[in-house]
Amino acid sequence: MARADTLARARELDRPELAYLVRFPAADGMTDMELTWAELARDTEWVTERLREHGLAAGQRALLTTSGFEGFWGHAVIGALRTLKVTYGIAEAMGWDHRRTSVFHRELAPHAVIGLSAETLEGLAGGADIGELFRPTSVVLARPAAVPLLRGAGVPAALISAVGPALALECPERVGAHVNAAEWRVGERDGQLSVAAGEGRVSLLPETPLGIPGRVITGRCACGSENPRVLLAEANWPSSSRS
Amino acid sequence: MVGDRDTGDRYFEPQVETMPREQLRARQEERILELVEYAYGNSAFYRELWDAHGAHPRDIRSLDDFRARVPFITKDMVRAYRARTGDPFGGLLCVPVEELTSVSSSSGTTGDPEFFPEIWQDAPPLVTAQVRDLWELGLRPGDRVLSPPGTFRNLMDPGYQALGAVVIEVDTWIGRMHEVVEALRTYRPAYLQMMYPQMVELEHLAEKTDLKEAFSSLKGASCAGQPLSRKMRERIRDDWGIDVYEYTSAADTGTAWECREHDGFHLWEDTVFAECVEVDEHGGWYDAPEGDLGELVATDLDNRAAPLIRYRSEDLVRLSRDTCGCGRTHARMWVAGRRGDETLVHGRSVVLRDVWQAVEDQPETVAGVFQIVRDRREVDELRLRVGYDPALTGDVDALAGRLSEAVRERTGVKPVLDMRTEEDLLRTMTSVAKFPRVVKS
Repeated sequence: MARADTLARARELDRPELAYLVRFPAADGMTDMELTWAELARDTEWVTERLREHGLAAGQRALLTTSGFEGFWGHAVIGALRTLKVTYGIAEAMGWDHRRTSVFHRELAPHAVIGLSAETLEGLAGGADIGELFRPTSVVLARPAAVPLLRGAGVPAALISAVGPALALECPERVGAHVNAAEWRVGERDGQLSVAAGEGRVSLLPETPLGIPGRVITGRCACGSENPRVLLAEANWPSSSRS
Repeated sequence: MVGDRDTGDRYFEPQVETMPREQLRARQEERILELVEYAYGNSAFYRELWDAHGAHPRDIRSLDDFRARVPFITKDMVRAYRARTGDPFGGLLCVPVEELTSVSSSSGTTGDPEFFPEIWQDAPPLVTAQVRDLWELGLRPGDRVLSPPGTFRNLMDPGYQALGAVVIEVDTWIGRMHEVVEALRTYRPAYLQMMYPQMVELEHLAEKTDLKEAFSSLKGASCAGQPLSRKMRERIRDDWGIDVYEYTSAADTGTAWECREHDGFHLWEDTVFAECVEVDEHGGWYDAPEGDLGELVATDLDNRAAPLIRYRSEDLVRLSRDTCGCGRTHARMWVAGRRGDETLVHGRSVVLRDVWQAVEDQPETVAGVFQIVRDRREVDELRLRVGYDPALTGDVDALAGRLSEAVRERTGVKPVLDMRTEEDLLRTMTSVAKFPRVVKS
């Protein structure tokens, strides 16, 4: 097959260890760090376990809404869905593409919707009741600003969010989004989150204030994880949690 | 790295890309005979359609049989099947849904998006078929690329990364071009995917930014979604110093890119069997003579999920199977437009190209942001929505007067103009790639 042959040829190339150069907004402006293939593989493994906790399994369908510049976590989510043998549909996270999200949701009846944005919800709200639309969906992982909108409409959404170069993902307990402690150190100062690379990361990232209002909870989660959890003000924590 | 462009490794898969045409045709025939069996056995849509036309795989033993017996399909036929049966894949699916890796879709600018079911390993199908084109552009392992503004038909990064490129995550969507320029200066990427709205925005930045310096690390940039006008292309190439590679859809089977010769779009004919035909209103058809305009009809040769077979694209193209100056033997096409884009105003034909030229000739609307507004092909008045650059426009009414006259000179029809700022008009886009030139409202 033609594409398989192309990729076989590509596998013969000397490829660098780097997969991405991740740029992210920090309190002092844009900053960047490298993401290697080995790190991406570990991130994918971590996301796989988080999605498994949400009940995602072979034969199900998911809808991922993301943007072209979010590959550093989108790649890991896609890798996780592939590992779990979950077929995924993909739409833009930008508001103008809400119709595609609507059609995917209607036609594919996904078990999970991942990455829903407030802009998408705003677009969808013009023609549908958000609660009616997403309450039947087993797993809704939404971006910070979308979480209160969904929970307010009776959808028990969990949070998915980039925290600088790291990914934070809420477990089904929905008491803060977990960050992989094996890879990252998250902290808070004056009500704002910071992130630093763990020792295993190739790219050194010292403690970097992110300018994201929020808190960090340490200690064991009811799901059994010891990973720290971030509570983002934008996700309206804690007033609408576990509602 | 620029030196790579002049070495002997121009072809990523030389044996395939320069394959003699008779071998290519033999390979296509072999693949099509397998495909016909496979599709008939696994796709409800094709089985129903071919049975109705008396086309059975047992009777198809050659490429000529295939062309003589297998009927064309259209987007509307698939939509009708979808509406009738409730099957979101329009009956095209040849595998159980569980076997699919992903489902991408068209942008849905003209109706509900059509799904493209996908099965893949290292990288999604659309971007995988671009690997040879990116290699031709000069992309090599270790090069950096800026992330594209949208996910198009699935995440594009794995395709770039298959070539060993490192993806730099930068939001390159509308309103971010100053950040893109900053990123270009900081990271010195070799490749960038551009879209029409970005170029309009860059045009504004060009006044106060040395874009030639900013873009100087690029080996090339690609541009898709709609054809570049002559003026825009010259601006990008001559003023900004970018070797720009346009690409277009290969009738939804993949994409077709320009090579460094910039003389037509190469179809990868090991992935698509392309026909250029004239179809009459009764369904009769004949091959458009080589070099004449015809409709591109495509058959997927490398898609076991949901192959398109004799799919009428509605794209009007010229097709040539002559060997290109680059040495590749795969056919090239030149796109003239979409069937149905021509507007008849009181019986007088108005084509996009003429309107475009008139719009571009005004300094305030040089970016060519315009749409023809019509609810049917034959209309009583030519309604145009045109975007202008407010920074360059002192008197909108005066601009409208000049523009109206320029359009009348080019088309013979005096238009009814709806003047908007470029930004307002571009923000009506409902696709990351396509700015629709003909809209209903």
